[in-house]
Amino acid sequence: MEEAASQLERDHVHSVYDKIAPYFNDSRYKAWPKVRQFLLDLPPGSIVADIGCGNGKYLHINKEVFKLGCDVCRPLVDFAWSQGHEVQMCDGLRLPYRDSCFDAVLSIAVIHHFSTKERRIRAIKEMARTLRVGGRIMIYVWAMEQKRRKFEKQDIFVPWNPNPHLSSGFNRDDTKPRRRAAAQSVSEAIDNAENYRKVRSTSSVADEEDVTQAVPQQRTQRLWFFSRSLDSVFDFGSLAISWPSSRDLRHLPSATGENEGNKPNQWARGRGLIKQVSSFFSPPSVIGSEEDVFDSDTDLQKNRNNPGVSLAQECGSLALPDLISLQQENLRQSEDQSVREPRGTGRQEGTQSPEEQVEASCLRYYHVFREGELAELIEHHVEELHVTHNYFDHANWCVVAEKVQLWKI
Amino acid sequence: MKLLTHNMLTSHVKGVTKGYPLLIKATEVKVNEVDFNPKFVCRMIPKLEWSALVQAADQLGHREDLPGELVPDYEKNEDFLKKVHRVLLEVEVIEGCLQCPESGREFPISRGIPNMLLNEDEA
Repeated sequence: MEEAASQLERDHVHSVYDKIAPYFNDSRYKAWPKVRQFLLDLPPGSIVADIGCGNGKYLHINKEVFKLGCDVCRPLVDFAWSQGHEVQMCDGLRLPYRDSCFDAVLSIAVIHHFSTKERRIRAIKEMARTLRVGGRIMIYVWAMEQKRRKFEKQDIFVPWNPNPHLSSGFNRDDTKPRRRAAAQSVSEAIDNAENYRKVRSTSSVADEEDVTQAVPQQRTQRLWFFSRSLDSVFDFGSLAISWPSSRDLRHLPSATGENEGNKPNQWARGRGLIKQVSSFFSPPSVIGSEEDVFDSDTDLQKNRNNPGVSLAQECGSLALPDLISLQQENLRQSEDQSVREPRGTGRQEGTQSPEEQVEASCLRYYHVFREGELAELIEHHVEELHVTHNYFDHANWCVVAEKVQLWKI
Repeated sequence: MKLLTHNMLTSHVKGVTKGYPLLIKATEVKVNEVDFNPKFVCRMIPKLEWSALVQAADQLGHREDLPGELVPDYEKNEDFLKKVHRVLLEVEVIEGCLQCPESGREFPISRGIPNMLLNEDEA
């Protein structure tokens, strides 16, 4: 189970971020206001670690504290370093920091990429280990319950939308001398959190991490999911996929309901299954739009004249299974194409833009959290942390917890 | 990698119990100019493993006259704080590696970034 879980994360988290990092850095920048406030509230002279820091967007906040960041994605970490931040490469399950050395830890939109409950717990425990007693951790994860739509299942693959409007606003509190010119162009600094409400021309402030945010896009996205949690998939090698089309099911191994006693076999089948599942994601067609939390009108205007897109917008309020069955029509029409559907104009495979090619292979795995799930996870499995705040913030479930001294007799 | 960061880093290879502090083997070191904030330095000091800092500075050839033990009443000692500031925040390892003192495993530092990722068999 462990190897399958880590392989899934390699294929559908790490390698995807490696591929999309260049777009990621260029585009939209935003610091969640409550995270910013958490950082600003820290006493001067604190040491903070941003575990899973990505391109380092939180590392410039609050000059009075020492910040360091880490991530598995080399291109993102390189970018953060180019902005003048102290960053390392490491894995969330094995943090290279000594016990109790941090006053605060951030985990913003990270642990939802761990594919089993056990790994998510281990990640939280590792972060707790590095916190000093009395130190605080803030964790943000994607919520299953979104403002306009609820994910039907918790373990999902989400395709990546490259932002064709490469904008590069950076939200910075101070001008910090950079070690070198950033690889990407940095044109303007978006002033403060308030400004994102005013930005209408692009979704430059829409953080792609937020599933309900906008992407000015040619098409919208399809979400795939497993009908069981991945924990059980890896355990029993059986998988029932919510796949309405019989054409698709034909290609799957007969996995439903079987329970082979042989573990390596199960693991191999589970992996083979994941591979097959991934291969079904092209053509990624159109399904419910991702809405901009802050600015919902912008991207609807930006969408190209694409029948698929308008279909999706109408479908926005439908439950996912209905959306999928509508999509089957599109699938059957393009049955012979092995790659993506042509956009409205009937383009062939050979004329794909680089972004389209990237998009075809970029499915990120997420375990989206139900209400209360994150707090429960901590309360039941991480006794060294005590939850002090638990709230919903723009499509994320958020927890703040404090490290407590455990007395073992 | 600054030495303040290095002070927090440890080897986490499976089975290692004495992975701190990591030995530094640097092939490229830079010294930058960073604004001196005495209060900031003052607050950092109690969070440091002092001997690890001195050892690291030594390994880089940048110890200068940093004392082997913390001087008493350092809060008011601007001279001392400036020395600490330089070693903590201005000296930077750009290329080299960090070595686990127990297992000998080397973690590369390239372009200023230590790569602490473990292989599957080490984790």
